[in-house]
Amino acid sequence: MTARIDTTRNRLTKLLTRHNETLAELKRYKELVENVQDYAIFLMDKNGYVQTWNKGAKRTNGYSASEIIGKHFSIFYPKEDIKKQKPQQELIDAQKFGRIEDEGWRIHKDGSKFWSNVIITALFDDSGTLTGFAKVTRNLTERKIQEDKLKKANVLLKRQQEELKRLNGAKDEFISLASHQLRTPATAIKQLLGIILEGFAGDVPPHLLPPIQKSYESNERLIRIVNSLLKVAQIDAGKVVLDKTDVKINDLVRDVILEQQKTILARKQTVTFVPKNVSLTVQADPQYFRMALENLVDNASKYTFDGGTIEVTTKSQKDDIVVAISDNGVGIASENLASLFEKFQRIPNDLSQSVVGSGLGLYWVKKVIELHDGRIEVKSEVGKGTTFTIYLPKRK
Amino acid sequence: MHKILIVEDEDILREAYYATLSSQGYQCDVAENGKVALEKCQTTTYDLILLDLMMPVMSGVKFLEKFMPNVPDGTEVVVLSNLSSGVELEQAMDLGVYRCLLKSDVSPKELVAAVRNELGDEG
Repeated sequence: MTARIDTTRNRLTKLLTRHNETLAELKRYKELVENVQDYAIFLMDKNGYVQTWNKGAKRTNGYSASEIIGKHFSIFYPKEDIKKQKPQQELIDAQKFGRIEDEGWRIHKDGSKFWSNVIITALFDDSGTLTGFAKVTRNLTERKIQEDKLKKANVLLKRQQEELKRLNGAKDEFISLASHQLRTPATAIKQLLGIILEGFAGDVPPHLLPPIQKSYESNERLIRIVNSLLKVAQIDAGKVVLDKTDVKINDLVRDVILEQQKTILARKQTVTFVPKNVSLTVQADPQYFRMALENLVDNASKYTFDGGTIEVTTKSQKDDIVVAISDNGVGIASENLASLFEKFQRIPNDLSQSVVGSGLGLYWVKKVIELHDGRIEVKSEVGKGTTFTIYLPKRK
Repeated sequence: MHKILIVEDEDILREAYYATLSSQGYQCDVAENGKVALEKCQTTTYDLILLDLMMPVMSGVKFLEKFMPNVPDGTEVVVLSNLSSGVELEQAMDLGVYRCLLKSDVSPKELVAAVRNELGDEG
């Protein structure tokens, strides 16, 4: 008998302990929920009337527990949402799907709006009957403001980009149009002065020849600048389409050197060509690639003092065909190397005063090499000389 | 002596080409656009036509479209334009022109040399 009583007492004690533990656990959960600051967490009955209220809810919505408990949760929604019966619809959806998540504007007690993320979870008892809802709300106004700012900035940036593109197109068109217009009178001057200088108009008094010659040369300079502007405008506008074919690079280099030999020899300079491989073929537009090479060889000669040397080498190196144009000329200071390939850049040096240039040549050369899927590099030392190296991908 | 038709809308250039080529004994005629050139070609057969491309009234390309299908034997056409590239130049080549000179590249002496070369003159 005593033993049975003892057993029953033991069982009751155990049950009581477990009950107390459960109560303590519930209390801890309640405290945890009540003390959460960053989330509004509260329960509603099945019709949406507020039943509990935590610190986060007070912080988010502004109401104290005594002010809000028993009130309908639609108090947190803007008028337009209430008109559309959004709160009621959210409860219907939460019951149907178990939970709903929504982001939108909500109304603080002081009437101000805040952007929130809301989760409403439907609560059911063991028999599956709806008992109410749990609602978790987070104030995301700061994030929303930042997002909106970013969106606005993006729209502005896009608009600015479009405007920049339009202006750039207009600039290209202007340069192209202006250059064409300038070329016509310059061509007329060339013809008229040419008629006198080349003897088509009979003998010219000798004292008139030097000024006419100088006028002719100035006009030639104008034509060269206009032509450079046109070339650059064309390449910038994407109007240059390469007509690639197999080009024997050594033959092309030889042609370019032969063509410029007269000018180079007039400056008492020596030019050598060192092909390290017998046959090198690249896929290139012969006309454009030749013009790029001519430009580099011409530069090498122009920026080298009389009596200097120019060397062109070609070789095969891994996946590239490499063409290097070296001189022992004035060289380029390291601080000027970075801007060398930019438009309208003329680097000051011992010869730049006497050399005629538009500051467009190297920009154009780089663009042409890039159109060939190649690249160009430069190494230079003031007083020692410069080497331009072109890397063109080998024919696949 | 060879007959040359200079088709050029710029007065100064037209006169300059005329003066240069006439001084070399060529029999020159001028036209300020493609339309006038076509009319001249109906009455005269030229050995060489120096043709500008960008001209008002009738462009060089439009002239070629009408002229080239019935081009008389022995008439050569050389384009003398300030267009260094572009659609018009390609159209001219497609219509059967083989030689194009860039106006701003050619001095009177070089023009004469090009004409002699085209006509097979010894000079």
